[in-house]
Amino acid sequence: MSSHREAPGISQDPVADNADVYAFVSPDDPTTVTILSNFVPLQGPAGGPNFFEFGDDVLYSIFIDNDGDALPDITYQFQFRTTLQNEETFLYNTGPITSLTDPNWNKRQLYDVSVIYEKGRGNGNGKKQHHEQDGTGKVIGSDLACPPCNIGPRSTPNYDLLANAAVHQLPSGETVFAGQRNDGFFVDLGSVFDLAALRPFQNLHLLPMAAAPGVDPLKDLNIHTIAIKVPISMLTRDGSVPSDPLSAVSVIGVWSAASRRKVQVRDENGNGSKGSGPWVQVSRLGNPLFNEVIVHIGDKDRWNAVDPIDDAGEFESYVNQPELARLLPVLYPGVFPHLAGYTKDRADLHAILLTGIPAGIVPGFQNFTGPRPADMLRLNVAIPPTPAGSANSIGLLAGDAAGFPNGRRVFDNIVAIELRAVAGLTIPLVEPSYTPDAAASLLEDGTAPGAGRYQSTFPYLGTPHDGYHTPSS
Amino acid sequence: MERLSRRSFVKIAGAATGAAALAAAPPIARAAVGEEEGQPTNATTGVPEEPVVAYVRSVERGEVTVTSGTAEHTYRDRALVRRLMRAARREVR
Repeated sequence: MSSHREAPGISQDPVADNADVYAFVSPDDPTTVTILSNFVPLQGPAGGPNFFEFGDDVLYSIFIDNDGDALPDITYQFQFRTTLQNEETFLYNTGPITSLTDPNWNKRQLYDVSVIYEKGRGNGNGKKQHHEQDGTGKVIGSDLACPPCNIGPRSTPNYDLLANAAVHQLPSGETVFAGQRNDGFFVDLGSVFDLAALRPFQNLHLLPMAAAPGVDPLKDLNIHTIAIKVPISMLTRDGSVPSDPLSAVSVIGVWSAASRRKVQVRDENGNGSKGSGPWVQVSRLGNPLFNEVIVHIGDKDRWNAVDPIDDAGEFESYVNQPELARLLPVLYPGVFPHLAGYTKDRADLHAILLTGIPAGIVPGFQNFTGPRPADMLRLNVAIPPTPAGSANSIGLLAGDAAGFPNGRRVFDNIVAIELRAVAGLTIPLVEPSYTPDAAASLLEDGTAPGAGRYQSTFPYLGTPHDGYHTPSS
Repeated sequence: MERLSRRSFVKIAGAATGAAALAAAPPIARAAVGEEEGQPTNATTGVPEEPVVAYVRSVERGEVTVTSGTAEHTYRDRALVRRLMRAARREVR
């Protein structure tokens, strides 16, 4: 999956598991950028009576680097707290929930949003930190309500009304939402983790089976999303709204993370636990699939604990010589002869994932943040959104410069894009004499998002499935 | 705690006297050197709202780390480490 349960440690800690990050120029509000960071993956919609929620003991952070040094210039922090209205029931709700203040809604979450500006802006301390997660930012929103989970037609009869009420405009200019959504990521998990089989091409697999359409197990699952929409002028290094895609000012780096207190002291009488000590990062995410597919299993927990600025060196070497590029020719004998013969470091993947693509490689485009290798989503905010009717889910590889790896939109077909890149389709960007294998431009897992997965307005991920109707039988 | 800060604390603590280090960690100091030193007891309250936690980071180096709020400090205090290690081996009656 993009980063759902991608590392041994975080797979045991779902509420802190950062599963996806998206960053794109808002299609319906192109003077802003929307950043989505997803947690609590693989939610079965019927998972009551304690439906899914954010962790009260987790610090959720979204980082923006606007000067290319792989350090955060702007950090948004989100902290939650759960309240019970009625302790004398086992129910999540005692009647229909028709508003965010409905007394029938028993178990609620509220949250605060803080921001830290580095380099003397706003509440910054004038000094750039290696890693700023002390929970001491300037509060820009407090006691903001999350929507309930989508339970069913009796409990949440007008869910979209509740979700819309949980979109909060902050006085500082941002718009935020935090709560359950439809998981927009699509992938044939059952097949790709069965020895990297791609059902449409599995007749060519080392252990062949008849070719078949892809199956997306995420299509019935929900996730929890932290969404923030920020005016572009609040994100760029000089406060401008750039119009020149080739200007360095136009590119921002984005990643997110979850942290827990270093020590938890558990009460022996069942009264929960209390934290002590500094926040320690337990999950992070920039580019989709980076930790999942690129980093080796023995290093995944460590990768989650460190910062993008620490990616140089060992993690960089995983990008330069990705294991999957060596596996593809073995698992699909005879299909990838050119890839099998290519033994150089993958400068194409290094650019896509770790530095951004410099100017002069894709005409009129760049998202280069400088030579410092660091895993971040890199978004060129001067590239306008592609109209919905002409957007291509293969993104930049298909000539749609508003899509991944220029940031990441909710509908981008990450599995197909990264499979094709790893299979060598992007090598000619840095080595024009290389001819990709014919299969490289065709690779996909055969999945596509169905209806209702997304919506055209903030927070762009669709209405979560309700537990009454899902699964349908 | 940031690596550099921790190192600097250890360095400072190493140059200071044991008493000075204990004074910087009053909850530990009181528990360790008070009148009831070494007497096992049962906890009388639940977990405090902001627990102050001390743990032995390195017996060999005599390092104790104390967390409080979002701060963490590491001290070098071999006597305190010895007392904590003795206490750790005792059963609470």
